[in-house]
Amino acid sequence: MNPDSHDLIQRHMAGLLTGDEAAVLQTRLKADTDLRRLYLHYMNLDVALEAQAGSRDRVIDLLRAAPLTENKSAGRWLTWRPLTVAAAGIVLMVSAWWWQGSQRVLATVVNDAGVEELSNGAKLRGETHSLKGGSVELVSARGARIVIEAPAEFRFETEQRLRVMRGRLSAEVPPAAKGFTVVTPSGDAVDLGTRFGVDVPASGAAEIHVFQGEVIAKASGNMSNQSLRGGDAVAMDGGASTARELRSSAFIQPDEMLGLSAGLAAGQRARSEAALTGMRNDPALIALLDFESGEAQPGVFRMVQGRWPGSRAPEFVNVGDHLKLDVGGEREWLQLTLAAWVRLDQLGAPYQSLLHTDGWTQERPGQLHWMVTRHTTMRLALRGNTLAPGSEEQEMFPDSKTSVLPEQGRWMHLATVYDSGSKTVRFYLNGRFDKETRQSIAHPAKLGPGQIGNWDYEDRKLSGRVDELLLLGRAMSDPEVRTLFEAGNPYR
Amino acid sequence: MSPPSEHERHAHFLRHYAESEVALHTFVRSLVPTRQMASEVMQDVILVLWGKFNAAADFQGWAFGVAKNVAMRHLRRQSRDRHVFDDDLVNQLADDAISLVPVHDGHREALERCLDKLPAAQRELVLTAYTKGTRMDELATRRGQTPMALYKLLHRIRQALLECVERTLAKEEHA
Repeated sequence: MNPDSHDLIQRHMAGLLTGDEAAVLQTRLKADTDLRRLYLHYMNLDVALEAQAGSRDRVIDLLRAAPLTENKSAGRWLTWRPLTVAAAGIVLMVSAWWWQGSQRVLATVVNDAGVEELSNGAKLRGETHSLKGGSVELVSARGARIVIEAPAEFRFETEQRLRVMRGRLSAEVPPAAKGFTVVTPSGDAVDLGTRFGVDVPASGAAEIHVFQGEVIAKASGNMSNQSLRGGDAVAMDGGASTARELRSSAFIQPDEMLGLSAGLAAGQRARSEAALTGMRNDPALIALLDFESGEAQPGVFRMVQGRWPGSRAPEFVNVGDHLKLDVGGEREWLQLTLAAWVRLDQLGAPYQSLLHTDGWTQERPGQLHWMVTRHTTMRLALRGNTLAPGSEEQEMFPDSKTSVLPEQGRWMHLATVYDSGSKTVRFYLNGRFDKETRQSIAHPAKLGPGQIGNWDYEDRKLSGRVDELLLLGRAMSDPEVRTLFEAGNPYR
Repeated sequence: MSPPSEHERHAHFLRHYAESEVALHTFVRSLVPTRQMASEVMQDVILVLWGKFNAAADFQGWAFGVAKNVAMRHLRRQSRDRHVFDDDLVNQLADDAISLVPVHDGHREALERCLDKLPAAQRELVLTAYTKGTRMDELATRRGQTPMALYKLLHRIRQALLECVERTLAKEEHA
């Protein structure tokens, strides 16, 4: 680096550059790209230092000064000329942006679904927020759209940097916000556009899931970075990054927020509570799990938020995660209804276990396995049952017609009604009748010891959340299933 | 389709302007001799941009053209046109300023932490020097230095800050 060029830059910054010196600087800047870069780096620094000096405990006379007076005490920094009121408003508003730092609004709340701590329109600066329940949608000053699900603790460090101590978020990053970074205790995610999710559990590794575009993952303590593309996911722990399966359903994304907040506003939660009370009083009730009681359930799983703000639902993530159940004993059920609210991921695994009774043995005909198959259909298998001739199913067991796993995560209501008398299995998705399968042999159903999320004989994964599992010892009618769905629907 | 409300136009404009503000200010600073003039130019620039804002146009390209014209006007008015760079260089500087926006954003974000890393006396000096209304000759006298010595010291501090922000960006540290 030619010292003379550096001197020239320095003199320019001091405001001391003479005409001749400017001509010399011009020649050099035109010829030397690196010098031009350096020159602009210093110009940027000059402007930024001005802003820093302004934002650190200095009186911001600008915002209080009457727009039409000349403010000499500010050292002729601003000479006000007669301005139209609208224009003056613009200059004052934008000047607020120039004073970077604690004055600046880094993000704004645009939608809140059951979050008590923040309301629609709230402006976020650098403060820390703790959310106990619900989800909130924010837009950063650069247009990044972020949904954060409770329980969560976070703060914006700048408009492009979000530090998450705990919680789960999805982000949609437009070109203007390229480089938006989420900082977690075990690493950073730098988004290069466009959609990704970050899960920071209360304990354990933070995870990055990329839905679309590219994200650079930097595990703390690791020098190298990893480029992740749509469909990739990693867990970052102790400097190492481990590949994970993408959990498409684990994150609430912006387009889901509207439905969730509308559902809350329409009083769906109260409706759901009423429906559950009705179910609890049903004489045919076998079991109703809503996971709210706070009692520890046996098994291996994470407890996260359910459909309602502050509610609870088990989340199954790793192979082996499960929840143990023992209901119904050795009793036989001529009719049985199974229903659950679930939020499941699209997976490569062959089966996702909703409810698997232990074993699969001819000594227990009628024992039941309820699952999602590799074809993403819902299946109800009873040991020893056979399909009636003419059935469409290829794989010997009754399957739904429609896929039960949406492309993008959402809460879905799955229901199956089994009737050994009429030898039918009826499937329902979101309250709507989907398909009826006829059986030739139809044993009465048996429950007993079993698991949600796995099978004691061989690993069967479940990836996602289960909120409310209902087992009823009778056949619900189509309208009843519909009502059950509509009452419990978190969306509007 | 109804025309955008004033409020929408305002919000739209602020969004565009905020995106370009860093690059525009840096660009303007690179054309004019003092920080003061750069700030005065920026004031006028924003008024022109607001007055003629058309949501459909290419904001950034247009804004740079406006910034260049306003800067030239100020330079001529202050008989400083001997400092005027020629069109080729001005265009090169505009292109470079735009392409450097991500880097400059990174520098700005890292600046606060790099300032905090300076010895307290140096930090106070640079912040005082950059405060509006500070007169450099008075500051030099107060410190028992010649103005030239003060400028040199200031620039050494700036060099250190630039190195720090570049290092921060390269190492991708986080707090």
